[in-house]
Amino acid sequence: MSKRELRLGNVRVLPKDLFPDFVKGLALFGKVYAPVVRPDGAHVFSPVERVADIDMAHPRTMLSPKKYLFPPETEMYQFSPEKGYFDPPVDTAKTVLLGVHPCDINGMLILDEVFRRYYVEPRYFARRQSLAVIGSSCEPDDKCFCKSMHSEYVDKGFDLFLTDIGDAHFVRMGTSIGDDIVAANPAVFRPVEDEDVRAYKHAENCRAQAYKAQVELDSLPQILELEYDSRVWKEAGDKCLSCGTCSSVCPTCYCYDLFDRLNLDVASGARVRRWDSCLFREHALVAGGHNFRDGRDSRMKNRYFHKQVGFVSEFGRPSCVGCGRCIEACPANISIIEMIKSLREEVKV
Amino acid sequence: MAKPRVGIFGLTSCAGDQLVVVNLEDELLDIVGAIDLRSFIMAASHPVEDEFDVALVEGSVVTGEDEERVKDIRAKSKLLGAIGTCAVWGGIPGALNHVGRNTLYQAVYGTEEDLFKAREARPLRDVVKVDFSLSGCPVEKHQLVQALLSLLHGDLPSFPTVPVCQDCRFKENVCLLKTKGQLCLGPVTAGGCLARCPSHNIGCEGCHGPLDEVNFAAEAALLEEKGLPRERIARVVRNFAHQADLARIM
Amino acid sequence: MLAEKDIIYRADPHRPSPARLVGVQPLAPEHALFQFRFEDPKENERWTHRPGQFVMVSVVGTGEAPISICSSPSRRGVIELCVRNTGRVTSALHRLKEGAIVGLRGPYGNGYPVEKMKGQDILIVAGGLGMAPLRSLVWYVLDNRSDFGHVSLLYGTRTPEDVLFKGEIAGLVGRGDLETHLTVDKLVEDGQPWPHDVGVVTGLFKYVKDRVDPTRAYAAVTGPPIMYRFVLRELLALGFGKDRILMSLERRMKCGIGKCSHCAVGYKYTCIHGPIFTYWDAMNLPEMI
Repeated sequence: MSKRELRLGNVRVLPKDLFPDFVKGLALFGKVYAPVVRPDGAHVFSPVERVADIDMAHPRTMLSPKKYLFPPETEMYQFSPEKGYFDPPVDTAKTVLLGVHPCDINGMLILDEVFRRYYVEPRYFARRQSLAVIGSSCEPDDKCFCKSMHSEYVDKGFDLFLTDIGDAHFVRMGTSIGDDIVAANPAVFRPVEDEDVRAYKHAENCRAQAYKAQVELDSLPQILELEYDSRVWKEAGDKCLSCGTCSSVCPTCYCYDLFDRLNLDVASGARVRRWDSCLFREHALVAGGHNFRDGRDSRMKNRYFHKQVGFVSEFGRPSCVGCGRCIEACPANISIIEMIKSLREEVKV
Repeated sequence: MAKPRVGIFGLTSCAGDQLVVVNLEDELLDIVGAIDLRSFIMAASHPVEDEFDVALVEGSVVTGEDEERVKDIRAKSKLLGAIGTCAVWGGIPGALNHVGRNTLYQAVYGTEEDLFKAREARPLRDVVKVDFSLSGCPVEKHQLVQALLSLLHGDLPSFPTVPVCQDCRFKENVCLLKTKGQLCLGPVTAGGCLARCPSHNIGCEGCHGPLDEVNFAAEAALLEEKGLPRERIARVVRNFAHQADLARIM
Repeated sequence: MLAEKDIIYRADPHRPSPARLVGVQPLAPEHALFQFRFEDPKENERWTHRPGQFVMVSVVGTGEAPISICSSPSRRGVIELCVRNTGRVTSALHRLKEGAIVGLRGPYGNGYPVEKMKGQDILIVAGGLGMAPLRSLVWYVLDNRSDFGHVSLLYGTRTPEDVLFKGEIAGLVGRGDLETHLTVDKLVEDGQPWPHDVGVVTGLFKYVKDRVDPTRAYAAVTGPPIMYRFVLRELLALGFGKDRILMSLERRMKCGIGKCSHCAVGYKYTCIHGPIFTYWDAMNLPEMI
């Protein structure tokens, strides 16, 4: 076997006319979820009912696949006065996530770190291990800045990755599960030809040139430190509605609240975990009544610092993946791209 | 342990929140079985009004009778809860507080005579000490049940203080404000309704009243940018919560 | 990135273990001492903590709150928490009767760097409820007394009624191996017996300043935010290095395990990197004090 054949051993080509068969074949590996177009035009990750509903190229779904790993609201435990907190119900149904873009795969890799560090959160990893991830390429729009956040490409975090090369998908296998999927569906894949490799390179080149939005990451933590008291925060705080939308749609935000919900016997019940947002007023409010982040500006600053400074010092990269969801969803039209641009301007003295 | 003595009362209002109690269906028997319901005119005659562990009061304070009534209830109750947006914020009866009662009499009855001795509608907290609040027009069944269960458990009711937007995002609703330019008060309105109206393509009208700290100025500026006249924005905000820092958007 | 060795594997870190309330003692108005023991004897055997760490306490059906441990690891048997009745969970705790089952998980946080403090003078400054985490340190130091140099405790409360652990504190005063000084902001009534100081806690520094060598000492300070400002000034004036001043900080917490992010301050989680911070760390983190 030549060196080249070996290298190309874990790639295949999936002709687009065989894509419906491919999706059908995935059922063997779990219930298939993919970005589908809803009748109201919204793109959301949903169970696939018809292959025709799938739109993998659209830049972003409303919520990221975070919702499958760390759902908006989860019952963590049941409780009773005698037994305390018990029986964590964990959903480990086999699931295939099809059409996950590189930004979201990177988002999941970041969440992995968050739920692994210090204390392993077994519920998250039980879900994680029940997921097969099939990534797909996408067409960046004016809100995508994943390239700036070094999240436009993935070499891990997927079982298969499909890159659109015109009339076919160029398929990279990332894990042995990916290899299993290919092996179980021999009829839908064909070997890679030289022509396919050329098409793959071409597709990647085109995509690299398609980016319109950009956030300069260079020295950003230092700039945020220097501009800690900048008017930019104050102005953004005046615009911010504290609606928490940015946190919900963010693939890497993981703030949560924990509370107990009682059953009708007023004794048993469930401990509930619910997504929270550091933009909400009560996020840093302590029992005595002191609020450590009372102003909207200080809450917004906390969010930026957490993602662009704290994460960098701990993990060597920001926790932002540049998916553009917060820009697309913010009702107050606050854009991280513009915010960082403004802060960079402030430094120029 | 003795069952907690509970009274459910209504001041000036549509009695819609009391109706939610009656409509609890699945939960009603459990809850009524766990309490000593001493006074609830809507559901039972012969109220006993000596002392209450918990009083749930619906409605806003509009007449002198309302004021006396709620003060009397307060004096007889260990805990008093404001139930429904009228009790928490003044609600619909306060929507035209800024116009003046005699103008309203003129418009409706053709006379400026003070027919009902009605004054501007006030929320309960302007008149008596309120121990807990549950807003909503009407209150949400699931929140009311949790509030009652918390009280039975010995705790003050507590809910995540998040805006309507959060449930919209959880449901992956298309944002009516951002995407469709509709008048939606979701960002400034207390959640708990599971984004009931926006989930049906109807902009939030703020029936739960505002959160503790809201950015009305920014919300109003956004709506104006989308071409909505300031007077219409003000009218919708006033509908349920005339008290809510209107000065900043007027 | 964190090394594998820093990852603490536990079955399910959010899950509280059943523990029984085996004793309650009123300490001061709105303050009581709660003593807990796990229902599972193995958990009691396994239990160990550092002074300054905290636990998450669940009142079943009410919810969960972070509370610092006020017993010393050198005194095994029960886990003691001194709790002020100030919020939903703490007021539910105050309603519990002996024998009640609660949920307990922990210990969490870094605790005091007792290894580094060995061989050093120890100056403990407590204000109000700040005595709770410091009581753990006081008894740890006293039970390992030969490991430390000069040890002093300066404790200030609002009134004599507000002194926590009254009997115990009275027993500390006059101990040869610990120099204890007390002060109150004011007496409740004139002529009330109070053989100690009246005035702010910084007024007690005069008693110990010549006995402590700030170059080989640690100051452990815990109290309300306003107290820090004055105590820090005093300690710096005495010549304490900023990394020799240890503060215990309070934040909103939901998980205690470095995830929910409520306690995030700057780039640190109070529940993981704290609650004990040096003044140097604290002053370099935004919104810290």
